[in-house]
Amino acid sequence: MQDRPTASELLQAVADLLEGELLAATKGGLQHQVRVAGNLCRILEREARQGADADAREVEALAEALGEAPAGRDALSLSHALVARLDAGGDAALEKRAWPALVGIVRGKLAIAKPGHDAWDFTAELD
Amino acid sequence: MNPVEQTRAGLAAFLAKEWDAAVEVESLSVASAGARRRNVLFDALRGGERVPLVATIIPSAAVQIMPIELEASHLRFAEAAGMPAPHVHAVCDDASWLGGPFFLTARVAGETIPRQILRLVEADASLGPRLARQCGDALAKLHAADPAGAHPRITRPAGDPIEATLRAVEALVRGLLQPSPAFTLALRALERMRPPPPARLAVVHGDFRNGNLIVGADGLRAALDWEICHIGDPMEDLGWLCQRMWRFRNDALEVGGFGARADLAAGYEAAGGRFDAARFRWWKAMGTLRWGLGLAGQAKAHLDGSVPSIVMAASGRRVAELEWDVLMLLRRSFA
Repeated sequence: MQDRPTASELLQAVADLLEGELLAATKGGLQHQVRVAGNLCRILEREARQGADADAREVEALAEALGEAPAGRDALSLSHALVARLDAGGDAALEKRAWPALVGIVRGKLAIAKPGHDAWDFTAELD
Repeated sequence: MNPVEQTRAGLAAFLAKEWDAAVEVESLSVASAGARRRNVLFDALRGGERVPLVATIIPSAAVQIMPIELEASHLRFAEAAGMPAPHVHAVCDDASWLGGPFFLTARVAGETIPRQILRLVEADASLGPRLARQCGDALAKLHAADPAGAHPRITRPAGDPIEATLRAVEALVRGLLQPSPAFTLALRALERMRPPPPARLAVVHGDFRNGNLIVGADGLRAALDWEICHIGDPMEDLGWLCQRMWRFRNDALEVGGFGARADLAAGYEAAGGRFDAARFRWWKAMGTLRWGLGLAGQAKAHLDGSVPSIVMAASGRRVAELEWDVLMLLRRSFA
């Protein structure tokens, strides 16, 4: 175990520095890069707290869509397997199972990368 | 001489020759300096006359995707079609003046920054609907023009633009650094829902969206960035304009965060276009998928060292936004 501060706490401190003093001291293209770097620290801070849980849920959701056991599998190999099965085509049942599974997985990614992005679901514009 | 002074001297010398008159260059500012192009704003003084201009310069180091006169020809084509586009004053492929080929266009006054445009719209309730309608009008005029009049080297699909787009996107999905089951699923749905080839091909802008528009209190003044203008399905432009990514958090206003689809379609049809809702939906979802693949491509360009940049790296973490959007847009395919 590393000593405090935790990864999450350190990333918060770096983000505060970037978005505070550094942002104020820069301008133009560099200021934009500093803003982006600050936001990346916020993303990584959330990832440090929630990433492991989100990965575990992703493995379960992918395995369920594929109809396989999740034990010993990782998200990357399961994603490859799902892409291969979808590419093969002609499996409407798989596509129907895959859609809600992928919606759940993407929600998990957005909770880290862009909280709130999933608040808009396009219902008003599907027709 | 520093680079800005060199640009000033080069512009003054070029315009003196072009106009056969003494010319001074004032109020010069570099608006953007990307890897592929530099935009320099300036005033040219000829006698007592002040001409506000923009120089679009392709750095010689950059691989020139298309000859400079091609992009300028798209601007001229659009202007002749009646679409608001900056007037082209000069085109020059001699790199000795400004360090790269360039063209000069009229500098159109107004806002280009999306959030500033949305602020104008918030301050005037009539502007949003008018702007959406004007976008429809402008695109209909561009699309109505005979593509035979476009530059002979304009990018065109080998056959059906729907098929060409599906194949290009399929190659991008296969080339992803990391598998995206969401994009693969979206591609399956888009294959299934593919509309027939368009009744007619048109010159399409290719990147007509909030961010490439100049807007004033009166509405649309010009469409910018004609770099990827090509021959294609007219509905491609309308679908692209209505992607969520260009709404800048005003999600409920489908057209660039400032207007409703009904106003866009009304403007398009009043100017002689035919708004095809099914085709529009297909292109909107396809554009969303393409932009997601574009963001993944930016992350790849950072990681392989071709364009190392924190901004490009960050694009990789935006891919999930487009996965969400395209899954939602296509959800009826999986009901």
